[in-house]
Amino acid sequence: MAEIISRPDNQDNVVLRTVNLCKNFGKLEAVKNLNLELRRGEVFGFLGPNGAGKSTTVGMILGLIQPTSGSIELFGKKQESSRWSALRRIGAIIEEPAFYPYLSGWDNLNVLAKSIGGISENRIAEVLERVNLLDRAKDAYGRYSMGMKQRLGIASTLLRDPELIILDEPTNGLDPAGTREIRDLIPRLAHERRAILLCSHLLHEVELTCNRVAIIKQGTVIADAPLKELLSQGNQLQIRVDRMEETAEILKVLPWVTSLKKEGDYLVIGVPPNSGSSINRILAEKGIFASELIQRTSSLENVFLQLTGEENGN
Amino acid sequence: MVTKATPADHTETLYSGLGRIINAEIFKLRKRPMTRILLVILAGIIIIVNLLLLAISKVTLPSPGEQIGSIQNLLGLPAAIPFALSLVSSFGSVLAVILIASSAGNEYNWRTIRTFIVSCESRFKFLTAKLISAGVFILIGMICGVAIGFIMSLITTAIGGYAFDFSFATGSYLWAQFLQFWRTLYVMLPFILLGFLMSIVGRSAMPGIATGIGVFFLESIITTFMRLAGGWIARIPDYLLTANVNALNALADLPRGFQGGFGGSSTQALPSPAHAYITLGIYSLVFLALGFYIFRKRDITG
Repeated sequence: MAEIISRPDNQDNVVLRTVNLCKNFGKLEAVKNLNLELRRGEVFGFLGPNGAGKSTTVGMILGLIQPTSGSIELFGKKQESSRWSALRRIGAIIEEPAFYPYLSGWDNLNVLAKSIGGISENRIAEVLERVNLLDRAKDAYGRYSMGMKQRLGIASTLLRDPELIILDEPTNGLDPAGTREIRDLIPRLAHERRAILLCSHLLHEVELTCNRVAIIKQGTVIADAPLKELLSQGNQLQIRVDRMEETAEILKVLPWVTSLKKEGDYLVIGVPPNSGSSINRILAEKGIFASELIQRTSSLENVFLQLTGEENGN
Repeated sequence: MVTKATPADHTETLYSGLGRIINAEIFKLRKRPMTRILLVILAGIIIIVNLLLLAISKVTLPSPGEQIGSIQNLLGLPAAIPFALSLVSSFGSVLAVILIASSAGNEYNWRTIRTFIVSCESRFKFLTAKLISAGVFILIGMICGVAIGFIMSLITTAIGGYAFDFSFATGSYLWAQFLQFWRTLYVMLPFILLGFLMSIVGRSAMPGIATGIGVFFLESIITTFMRLAGGWIARIPDYLLTANVNALNALADLPRGFQGGFGGSSTQALPSPAHAYITLGIYSLVFLALGFYIFRKRDITG
């Protein structure tokens, strides 16, 4: 499938912009010419296989990793010239929540609050309450379950009332109820005019939560588009015909057929939405009559697997 | 009611931002069980060493050694503070290396480095705050060590039946002990900063602890062999750490046989104090500068 890049024209409210961002680790090109934009109120899914460059990108945004070339703008200013003023407007969990095991949840947030400055104890209580952790706030972090650690991580991102929230696998380790809570929380945060950058492997969660998605593979963005647009690219039609070889020959020359494969007695083709009638007509004109024509519901997982070539374990 | 966070004004000065981070670092160290455990270990060592020396001094031997008088002097009140500082300089250095290396290195072990770096104004301030806060606790440990040493001296004086004579505590005596206190910190610095540097280089507490303590113990063994070799090789130890540490420890007013630090004085000629100050200062500065440089330049990855 071809690269899919589609961004809104509206340049207002861009909180994060990367321009030709590159990072090399020795000979390894971890991130190649990355161009991303993230706006207020947007939940932006940042997807990719393991080692694709997601965490490296997040590290560069947060100033933990020095880019090899390219630039990062945060809230309209170059990151390198206004790192701290930008960072104080960002809340982030990087890869996994990380806190001091001997401190309680409360004390961990207290340490963060002391470092950042200007954050009251009321605010600590408020963010802990928001993630339903206030009643366990005095327990040592080392004794927290994975789900509680994730909640504390999310609470820490909210501590400074951020305009940009970066969440890396926020539902990792959560039980179904906890996952749902976080899934419900993310759109609410976005509704408060915050921008959310969500890195996740749970594509179903991303599909339910994000309104825009970028897919990165081997350091290169291979798709960056509104979720609906991206899902439409993954539309598939399942056709059952008697003369399968002949049908395949007819279909594969059509310019708008993006993929074609055999699955048992069916031909499965990638097509734009609502193409069923056109396909039926073309085949009928050639004297081929489909006994079944089924529109496959596209999922982000299908699109992701097609784009990243992970479907066959590649 | 929703409480809005109002992060501190970003126009604040270097020092006000640093003060906040130091406050956070002190909070972490204060709450950390290891800090208290290290202090208990230091206290335990001082108590045990004093009791052992008391026991040795009380043993009636058919032919007592030359040092038995020195041991009895060591337990006396005038030697209490310099002896405690001597113990702090040796055992305390090891504990201080553990404190600083774990303070810096465990940020990597627990992966908290990324969480907290993005909550600090700069890496420079983060590292400076770590050093200052650990320094505060090392100073507190030293003061506790001296206090415990003095209390033990009072106890051993009472048990040993020696006279409680405080006539030694003149102004010049107290000034000498004050200077020796800071000299003790100064001789600990290269080991502390080496542990600090290696925990950053190794991204873990263990390399810092192993290197700091390893150099502390191994260097004296290696330099002994160098001295034995003679010629220009015998002069190399003058530019390493141990000989210079011993040179400054020798300035303490300890009984004969203990001037070079706990464990006895060196029979070799020690470098001059000025040489020792400069050499140890250079090592400390190099370790410090390298630590900051590497921490600032290097990517912080998973």
